[in-house]
Amino acid sequence: MANHEKVDAVIVGAGPSGLMLAARLAEAGRKVVVLELGPPWEPEDLVSSQIWSRRLKWFGANQLEGRNPVAHNFNSGWGVGGAVIHQYANWPRLHEEDFAVKSGFGVGLDWPFGYDELRPWYDRIQNELGISGDHVQEVWRPAGAPYPMPPVKVFPHAQKVAEGFARLGIRTAPAPVAVNSVPFKGRPACVYDAWCDAGCPIGALVNTFTSYLPEVRKYGAEIRPYSNALRVLTNEKGDRATAVEYVDTRTRESHVQHADLVILAAFTSQNPRLLLNSANARHPAGLSNRNGLVGRHIMTHVGAGVFGMMDEDVQNHMGLSAAQLISQDGYAKSQRRDFIGSYTWMIGAANKPNDFTGLANTQVPLFGAALHDYMKRAARGLVKMGAVIEALPNPDNRVMLSDRRDEFGMPIARIVHSLDEHALKLFAHAREEGLRIMRATSAKEVWSPPGPPPLLHFTGGTPMGKSAADSVTDSYGRAHELANLYVTGAGLYPTEGAVHPTFTLHALTLRTADHLVRNWGSVVA
Amino acid sequence: MTVDRRSMLKGAALGAFAFTVGGTQTWLTLREAYAQAVPLQVLTGAERAALEALGDTLLPGAREAGIALYVDHQLSVDPGQCLLAARAANVPPPVTNFYRACLGALDRAATAAHGQVFAALKADEQVKFVDQMRQKVPEGWSGPPSPFFYLLARMDAVDVVYGTVEGFERLGVPYMPHVMPTRKW
Repeated sequence: MANHEKVDAVIVGAGPSGLMLAARLAEAGRKVVVLELGPPWEPEDLVSSQIWSRRLKWFGANQLEGRNPVAHNFNSGWGVGGAVIHQYANWPRLHEEDFAVKSGFGVGLDWPFGYDELRPWYDRIQNELGISGDHVQEVWRPAGAPYPMPPVKVFPHAQKVAEGFARLGIRTAPAPVAVNSVPFKGRPACVYDAWCDAGCPIGALVNTFTSYLPEVRKYGAEIRPYSNALRVLTNEKGDRATAVEYVDTRTRESHVQHADLVILAAFTSQNPRLLLNSANARHPAGLSNRNGLVGRHIMTHVGAGVFGMMDEDVQNHMGLSAAQLISQDGYAKSQRRDFIGSYTWMIGAANKPNDFTGLANTQVPLFGAALHDYMKRAARGLVKMGAVIEALPNPDNRVMLSDRRDEFGMPIARIVHSLDEHALKLFAHAREEGLRIMRATSAKEVWSPPGPPPLLHFTGGTPMGKSAADSVTDSYGRAHELANLYVTGAGLYPTEGAVHPTFTLHALTLRTADHLVRNWGSVVA
Repeated sequence: MTVDRRSMLKGAALGAFAFTVGGTQTWLTLREAYAQAVPLQVLTGAERAALEALGDTLLPGAREAGIALYVDHQLSVDPGQCLLAARAANVPPPVTNFYRACLGALDRAATAAHGQVFAALKADEQVKFVDQMRQKVPEGWSGPPSPFFYLLARMDAVDVVYGTVEGFERLGVPYMPHVMPTRKW
């Protein structure tokens, strides 16, 4: 067992929140170590291939259960950069009503603060990292600063779908995306070749190469790849975290990194796994789990894909992995009485032939010669739109420790997830609306898979709140039972709204980073 | 630091893989390797036959495009390097167990229904069988759910036929790489 000299902060996970915190703390003069399970990547590793892109995704074992198992690996990351290295970069904001679902609609949970608290952090992030969009046309967006860049280009495959929306009187607007429509802060504009999912090596899309990794290096925070965190250690009294025990996956040597501050910034499934696996005499059910909430209230988004086939060449290979246009006319939760939730239409993501979101998977039942024929037609004429549909938090949807163990002896995550009636009804509602919209376009064929719906994203499991009785952390991610243990990332979300989680993750983490830097003395006292 | 796309395009070499033939390492394209019946590292002969027959049923041309070589190579590498769609679809490592179980189930179910393994069925029987397995688990199938295997084997077939530079060309889709793959997979 190698014991490392105490540092100011040890961070588990080199994804966007871990690296942002490392950069900000190191900039403030703190000695920081980041433990990352996977390998380091460089821009030249971001090979333009949907096949090679899979290297960027997690591959370890989980025990997935429930009626609707989470799409864990597709949404996660592997290595320095985490999931943001292959993000699509759809960056809409949560809406005001998303922060008060329980008090507003009697279901789910409330955030410990309202939109106004997060608004300046959204503004700071979009100005630091860059978002293209049009805040005026995006009429549903809550108040905030204008986007620093104009919208990205809109190609014919998105325009064709937008015609269907317009014919039904449903509004569309440029999608807010963390992709440069014009050169921004020394980074080039996007060339619309749609390799975002394979990782953008040119700097047009926000990933850790363009956001916080350069600062981590500049300010001297240390990243240790191939470091598999096993447990957070505490003092005898159990009120302070003292270290993280980890194993080097190459040498299999055990290490302990002591620190004044411990931050868990791993993937949504792994933070609760670590908290639970760190059980000790003072915390027999896992760290900060006296109320039994660690791992509970995990959420996914429900997807609804709607497709159309045009006669003409719609240039559907051009654009982004993200949407070019957005519609949130169906977002307001008060519109529907029988079920609660929001949804967003994402219009005009570009296509590659293969992989999960590629051309072939838009018609899974086809095979044989019919699939060849379809591929040729789809490469010219396929148009598509997809709904991102909210699912409410449910304590029975949870991460637990499995009886099975990984090769290092740590129990793997057992993740149970089922959709409730709200989500299923909202899926049916959005899908029907999507079919109506697509039929209003000039598409010659229109279809939408009936389900079970695909699941997108992964949030919750370490929900923050106002009270130690009904949450795992406070609004900054500080664990209620350990003064110097913080949890970050999308696991903190009490509810998820119907927007992609990454922008909010950045805003929330920046708020925490600012808090830690400003209050360092009291945080580690 | 970012990569200049043009410099990455220069000198990218495509198409050849190191194979061991007769105890000697040699560079072959996948089609050459297929033509020379290069032995696989993980899959058995029966498993190869089943995978190639299934691949060609799912997407004609997948056999010649090297579906067995592709899957076998990915099963032989460190799990962190595996590029199969199965990885992103939550199939836990070692992924070999998944393919072995599914290909075995395919042959057992084909044998239960037709008295022969899948590769030995007539083309129309193979099509009917695949149409059934994509919708519900056939009689005699014991292993991971057949619709899930259908999805992933189909994705493997699409990867080798259409997921490469040549595959894009076949569809008339410009490849437009930033970082050109120096190997197909």
